[in-house]
Amino acid sequence: MFDPLKIETLTVLIPALPLLAAVLTAALGPAVLKKHSHWPAALAGGISCVLSVLLLFSVRANLPEAAHAGDAAAGEAAGHQASAGFETVVVLWNWAAVKDALPTPAAALPSTDAVGPLDQMLDVQVEVALRSDTLTSIMLAMVTFVSTLVIIYAAGYMHGDRGYWRFFTYVSLFVFSMTMLVSVSNFLLLYVFWEAVGMCSYLLIGFWYEKPEAAAAGKKAFLVNRVGDFGFALGLFLLWTTYGTLNFHDAGGVAGILGETRLSAAAVYVGGGTGLAICLLLLLGACGKSAQFPLHVWLPDAMEGPTPVSALIHAATMVTAGVYMVARCTPLFFASYAEPYVAGGWSIDAPSIVAVVGCFTALLAALIALTETDLKRILAYSTISQLGYMFLGLGVGTLAGVTAGMFHLFTHAFFKALLFLGAGSVMHAMGGVIDIRRFSGLRRLLPITFWTFLIGSLALAGIFPLAGFWSKDAIVAAVADRGHHEGGLYQWLYIIALITACLTAFYTFRALFLTFFGRETIPPEAGEHAHESPPSMTWPLGILAGCAVVVGFYFEWTHGFAEFLIGTPSISYLAERATGPIGEFHMDVAAISTVSAVLGIAVAAFLYLGEQNEVRVLTRLMGPLYRMSHGKFFFDQLYQGLVVWPLAGLAKFSFWIDRWLIDGLVNFCGRLPVWLGSALRNLQTGLIQFYALAMVLGLLVLLVTLIWQNG
Amino acid sequence: MSESALLENYLIVGGLLFGIGLVGFLARRNMIIMFLAAEMMLQGISLSLVAWSRFHGDWGGQMLVVFVIAVAACEAAIALALVLRLFGVAGKLDVTVWQNAREDGVPAFVDRELPEEADAAPADWPKLTPAGREPAPKEDEVPERSHV
Repeated sequence: MFDPLKIETLTVLIPALPLLAAVLTAALGPAVLKKHSHWPAALAGGISCVLSVLLLFSVRANLPEAAHAGDAAAGEAAGHQASAGFETVVVLWNWAAVKDALPTPAAALPSTDAVGPLDQMLDVQVEVALRSDTLTSIMLAMVTFVSTLVIIYAAGYMHGDRGYWRFFTYVSLFVFSMTMLVSVSNFLLLYVFWEAVGMCSYLLIGFWYEKPEAAAAGKKAFLVNRVGDFGFALGLFLLWTTYGTLNFHDAGGVAGILGETRLSAAAVYVGGGTGLAICLLLLLGACGKSAQFPLHVWLPDAMEGPTPVSALIHAATMVTAGVYMVARCTPLFFASYAEPYVAGGWSIDAPSIVAVVGCFTALLAALIALTETDLKRILAYSTISQLGYMFLGLGVGTLAGVTAGMFHLFTHAFFKALLFLGAGSVMHAMGGVIDIRRFSGLRRLLPITFWTFLIGSLALAGIFPLAGFWSKDAIVAAVADRGHHEGGLYQWLYIIALITACLTAFYTFRALFLTFFGRETIPPEAGEHAHESPPSMTWPLGILAGCAVVVGFYFEWTHGFAEFLIGTPSISYLAERATGPIGEFHMDVAAISTVSAVLGIAVAAFLYLGEQNEVRVLTRLMGPLYRMSHGKFFFDQLYQGLVVWPLAGLAKFSFWIDRWLIDGLVNFCGRLPVWLGSALRNLQTGLIQFYALAMVLGLLVLLVTLIWQNG
Repeated sequence: MSESALLENYLIVGGLLFGIGLVGFLARRNMIIMFLAAEMMLQGISLSLVAWSRFHGDWGGQMLVVFVIAVAACEAAIALALVLRLFGVAGKLDVTVWQNAREDGVPAFVDRELPEEADAAPADWPKLTPAGREPAPKEDEVPERSHV
C-alpha cells in the first residue's frame, strides 16, 4: 500500500524531489525552461518543505511518552532506555557488500541475541539507508524551508543571468545532497554527501567563473575542505577498525555505531586514545566544512558566489553540516568525555577540545569582523563566529550544551539567511557594490530591506525576545553551568563567549548603521534607478524576519526544542546519563549576555552614528591591533607562507625532476638508436658499386675464413 | 692430358672470366658495360660448372648451365629494358647518376666529373647544302643524347 504520509515514504520523497528537479532543470533548462528554470527547484523545495513538516509531526507523534514529558532520565530501568527515542530506518538497497573484510574488533557487538557470538571475520555492508528521527527531521525542515525561500528570492535576484538554469540545477542538486546528508544512516554515505555538498558549494562559489576571484575562491574552498575531509576519511577508517561497522543503525547482525543495541548496552563506546583520535579526526572534518579555526579561511572568500548561495549554503545549511555531524556523534564524544585520554598528567577529552576550538573561532572571527568593510564578508565572519558558538555548545559535553548548540543552529539558519538576503537586496539596489564605505543612509530607499535587516541584526546580536537571544543564551548558560560546577577551562570559555557576544552586537550594528543610517549616499554603479527589490525578493525577507522573531520565543516558551531533540536515540543516550537539567532558563546569564549585547550596540551607535570622528581617533590609537584585525590576523599570508609556497616549491622541484631527469632519460633512450644509426649511415651511399664491393669483400672474408678453418 | 689437368684449364679460364667480369663490374660506370661484365661473371661460373660436370660425369651441372643461360636471357631482357628506361630519364648511361637510394644527409658520391665532350662538329667541317627549311626539333620531345 502506498501511503504518502508514512514516515518511510516521506523520508525517501524529501530528497527525491529536489533530485528530480535537478535532473529536470539540467535536461530542459537550456532549451525549454529558460526564464522559468526556477519552477522545478521552487516546487520541489516547497513540496519537500511541506513533507518535512509532516515528517516532523509524524516523528513527534511517534515519540514515546517518556521523551514527550521531558523526563527521559527517570522512568524504566536504566540499560534499556535507548528506546526512549524514536527512529525509523529505510533501507533502499545494498550498495556494497564484501565478505570477511575485517577480523572482528573488540568493540563490535552482535545486534541480536539470536546471532550469538560474532564470527571470526566481519563483512562490510554498505546499505543505502535513510533514517528519520528528531534530529534529522529538524534539519530537514530547516534545510527545505530556507532553501525554498532562497530559491524564490533567487528567482528575482538572478533574473536575467546567463546561467539562470545552471544556477537552479546546482541549487536543486545542493538541496538533494543536503537533505541526503542529514538523513543517511551510514558514515560512508554521510561522507559521500558531505563531498556532494562540498562539490555543489564549489560549483556555486565559482558560479561566475569568468571572474578570476570567484574561480580562485571556489578552488580555495574546495582545497581547504580537502584537508578537513582527509581527517574525516581517516576518522571513518578508525571507526571501521574500532567498531567493525560504519552503520548508524543495527544491520547485518552487527550493532551500528549509533544503533539501539549499542546505545542500550552500557560502556561499549571506546574512550581513551582511540576514542579521542576518532573524535578529533571527525572534528577536523567538521572544522573544514563548518569553517572553524584553523580551516576557517575559505568561508569569507566564498562570498564571491551569488548572494542567495551565500545565504543558503554558506550561512544556513551546508556550513552547519559539521555541527550536525558532531551532534549526531554525541555518544562518541561523550565516550571520550567519560574516559579521557591521560598523558603526562594531562587528561584530554574531545568535548573540551571542541569547545576550545569553537570558542576561539568565535572570538577570532568576531575580531576580524570588527574592521571588515565588505558587508557580505562581515556576515561571513559572523557566520564563522556563530558556528563557533555552536561548537562551543556541543563541546560543553552536557545534554544542555548539545541541545543548545542545535537550537542555535536552527535559529541561526533563519536570521543569518535573512541577513544575507538583506545584504543581497542592498547589493541588488546598489548595482553590485557591497563595500559599506561606499553607500549609506539607505533606510528610506530600501524600507523593507532595512526593517528586516534590523530584525536580523537584533536576532544576531541576541536581543530579547528574538531568536538569537534564546539560543545564544542557552549556549552561554550551558557553558556557565559547566564552568560553575568545575571552574577552570569552562569559566574562561564563558567569559570569552560573553566578550564575543558583545563584539557580535558591535560589528552587526556597525554594518547596519553604516549601511542604513547617515547621509544618503549611492555609488555611481547603482545608476538612477536604485530601488527596493522586487516582491519575489522582499517576501522571503519578510517571512524569514517573521521566523527570526518567533522561532526562538516559541520553542523556548513551549520547552519544545530540547525535549523534541532528545527523542533522537543517540542524544537521549546523553540524557540517560543524566548530565544536568536541560533547557533551563538562567536569568542571571541572560541578563549578563543581554547587557553585553546592548553595550556592543551602544558603542556601535556612539561610534558610527553621526560624524565618526571618534572612529578615526580610535583607529589611530589602536594602530597595530587595528591592522591585525583588518589583515584578518594574516592567516591567509601565514598559510601562503607555510603551506602554499613550500608545496609550490616542491611541485616546481618535481616538475624540474620530471622535465630534465626522467624526460631526459626517456629521450636519451629514444635518441640512442639514432646516434648509432648515424654512425653507419655513411655506408648507404646508394651507389651500386659500393654494394657490389661490399659483397665482394664479404665473399673474400668468407673464403679466407673457410680456408683458415680447413687449412 | 689427364682429366684433372683438363679441369684445371677450364677452371682457370672460368676464374679469369669471373675475375675480369668482377673487375669490370666494379670499375666501369657505364650501365651497359656493367651489365656485360655481370654476364661475363655468369659465363665464368657456367664454364666452371660445365667443367665440373664433365669431370664428375654428372649431367646435373650441364643441365644447370642450360638453366642459367635461360635465366640470363630473361635477365638480359629486363636489365636492358631498365637501362633503356633509365637512359630515357637521365639521358646518360652513367650509373653514378642514380644515387637516390642513399640515406638522407649523405652527400652524393662524386668520383670524377666526366670530361665534357668537345663539340662533335667543329666549325670548319664541310656542310651540306641546305635543302629547304631546317627542321626545328621540339626541345621537350627529343631527349638529350649528348653523352652516350
